[in-house]
Amino acid sequence: MRTALIGGIGNVLLGDDAVGPYVLRLLESQYSFEEEVDLVDLGTPALDLTHQILGLRALILIDSVASDDPPGTVVRYGKEDILAVAPAERIDPHSPALSECLLTAQMLGACPEQVLLVGIVGAEYEAGQPLSAAVQAAVAAAIEAVVSELSEFGYSCQKKAGAEPAGIWWSESRSSLSESSQI
Amino acid sequence: MAKRITIDPITRIEGHLRIDVEVDNNAVSNAWASCTMWRGIEKILRGRDPRDAWMFTQRFCGVCTTVHAMASVRSVEDALKLEIPLNAQYIRNLILIAHALHDHIVHFYQLSALDWVDVLQIPKADPAATSKLAESISPWTRNSRNELKAAQDRVNAVAASGQLGIFANGYWGHPAMKLSPDVNLLAFTHYVQALEYQRKALQVVGILGSKTPHIQNLTVGGVANAIDLDSQSALDMTKLEMIRDLLADVVKFVQQVYFVDVCAVAAMYPNWFSIGSGVKNYLAVPDLPLDSKGSAYDLPGGHIRGGDLAGVKRFETASDAAFRQGVTEDVMHAYYQGEKALHPWQGETEPAFTGWDGEQKYSWVKAPRFNGEPMQVGPLAQVLVGYSQGHALTKKYTDMAIDKIASIGGPRATPAALHSTLGRHAARAIRACMLAELAQKHWQLLVDNIAKGDYTVHNQPVLPSHEVEGVGTHEAPRGTLSHWVVIKDEKIKNYQAVVPSTWNASPRDRAGAHGPYEASLLHTPLARPEEPLEVLRTVHSFDPCMACACHAFDPSGRKIGVAKIL
Repeated sequence: MRTALIGGIGNVLLGDDAVGPYVLRLLESQYSFEEEVDLVDLGTPALDLTHQILGLRALILIDSVASDDPPGTVVRYGKEDILAVAPAERIDPHSPALSECLLTAQMLGACPEQVLLVGIVGAEYEAGQPLSAAVQAAVAAAIEAVVSELSEFGYSCQKKAGAEPAGIWWSESRSSLSESSQI
Repeated sequence: MAKRITIDPITRIEGHLRIDVEVDNNAVSNAWASCTMWRGIEKILRGRDPRDAWMFTQRFCGVCTTVHAMASVRSVEDALKLEIPLNAQYIRNLILIAHALHDHIVHFYQLSALDWVDVLQIPKADPAATSKLAESISPWTRNSRNELKAAQDRVNAVAASGQLGIFANGYWGHPAMKLSPDVNLLAFTHYVQALEYQRKALQVVGILGSKTPHIQNLTVGGVANAIDLDSQSALDMTKLEMIRDLLADVVKFVQQVYFVDVCAVAAMYPNWFSIGSGVKNYLAVPDLPLDSKGSAYDLPGGHIRGGDLAGVKRFETASDAAFRQGVTEDVMHAYYQGEKALHPWQGETEPAFTGWDGEQKYSWVKAPRFNGEPMQVGPLAQVLVGYSQGHALTKKYTDMAIDKIASIGGPRATPAALHSTLGRHAARAIRACMLAELAQKHWQLLVDNIAKGDYTVHNQPVLPSHEVEGVGTHEAPRGTLSHWVVIKDEKIKNYQAVVPSTWNASPRDRAGAHGPYEASLLHTPLARPEEPLEVLRTVHSFDPCMACACHAFDPSGRKIGVAKIL
């Protein structure tokens, strides 16, 4: 049964916003995780994030963040940091809803005890562009942050002997992806 | 470590809906809808293999993943004149229905119910009396005193914590809030229960699509689900039975709870049947195909002009010639280059950002027009297009809603009263009931077809070397979605997505005609302009597709109420 979730958040088509799913896929290809730990490319889930986190013990999310720190800075936010950001006025179902989903889970008495957001400060969010150099350079540190915090949370993972292909399909060449069916 | 920053960064990346309204004598006198959106994303599809496009379009948006995947494969299939095996049609239909039911439930409870429900009145409610009231309007078995008391305790706990938490943003105590404490409690109890049923609907999408939030089972020409009733690694009887049971629970919630709650809100806010009409041109495309050619559908399509239901024109197919030829996009007031309104196959997406100027360009959304006119899309369009054609299923649930609203003490609404903010909510609940019934029908159609020994799920696409064009449509939760593709030399030459919220959030066109959001806000009375709850009620009733920031200007142009709204 899964009790921990590592989730990559972001739009893979919008430059540095892809960094969450990107780091997630590298984690999957480079490490094996115990069965209780689930890894999911969440895309931009908005309110549906609630369904992913209800009843978990531990939650680690990876996402691009906006801050005054230079692009590529890896910043860790704990549960209290996230809850301190009051949910924004909600006019549509698309707006990201991290604090809102945690608060909903809390109201239902099913909020993960341990929550961590590994944020990577982004630089460019241009459609169809790869990660910026600064964010690409931060990927290893983000992976390291996830792995070390997962261990802090009491879960284990092992580095694989040889990394498998990461399946970053959105940045692959323009030949047919349908054949390889990596979604 | 704790540094105050924007943790939800995508709000500035993925696009916002911004509404500007001018307020005069406590009523809206002018309105602008403007958005920053992902239109540029279409450009990255050029040069790619058309069979891959759906994987990219599925990432257009995190909430409507499935619908963009579906419209994309349909556009390529239309271009290739490719038929779809029956099993694939039914499996796709089940995914679309489950997604839509999930989406409609989320919309009413999580997005808009708290526009009408005052959570802070809940501590005053009497769970025993509420339970009696609930039993008088619905057979739902989870309206017991204990269940209601538990929900009330949750609100009390949040209130006692001294921080409103998840409720921090409501307009509590606003004079436009009219429900009794007991009705507020009942609706809130269902808000909590709704989370369970949304999840069940998502599970159906996940079982058929292999994964959520991004389904994996689509392919141009059909689906990739292997069907083998005796194999656990394929779509077998165990999985089909799970789907049936999950759908049964969701259907019951939709028909006994969601539908009834919308009717109750409608009965208790009758004046909202005369607010928020706006554009009365409606457009819906047929969907849920019943054969491999796509010549018969369970949901009818067509268009209505100027609220004239009797004059409805029908679309025979999902890529009806009248639809294919009638759509253009105008960029007079949008941040793009170009002079003429263009058909999507000739569509261009060359940005020309100028900054917001309500007289000139003010939105990243183009202005789609059908036969030159703005159209309202969404459940209301679908219900009116179906009702006016005498479509039996639409009529059944529309008449049921009208009776239910009257039986709870509301007015006896006519279909004409549906041109309104409440009408959009009612139509969504009517559509959800229709889809709930169709979910069970399409499950049975799939099982019966498999029982005949038909396991086909896919027809092989063949890409021609000459240039071909296609349109793929889907009547999505927010209305008519169309993807337009031009294929040449086995590659995508042009790709445009005309999404439901583009129709509804459209800016003015070169003739000066308002888009549906804009038109619907005109004349809306505001009890407290600094807390424009009424604007939100109408904007929410469309189920907008983008993050939204609302600014309220007084007639001198000075911003008022911004802090509250942002």
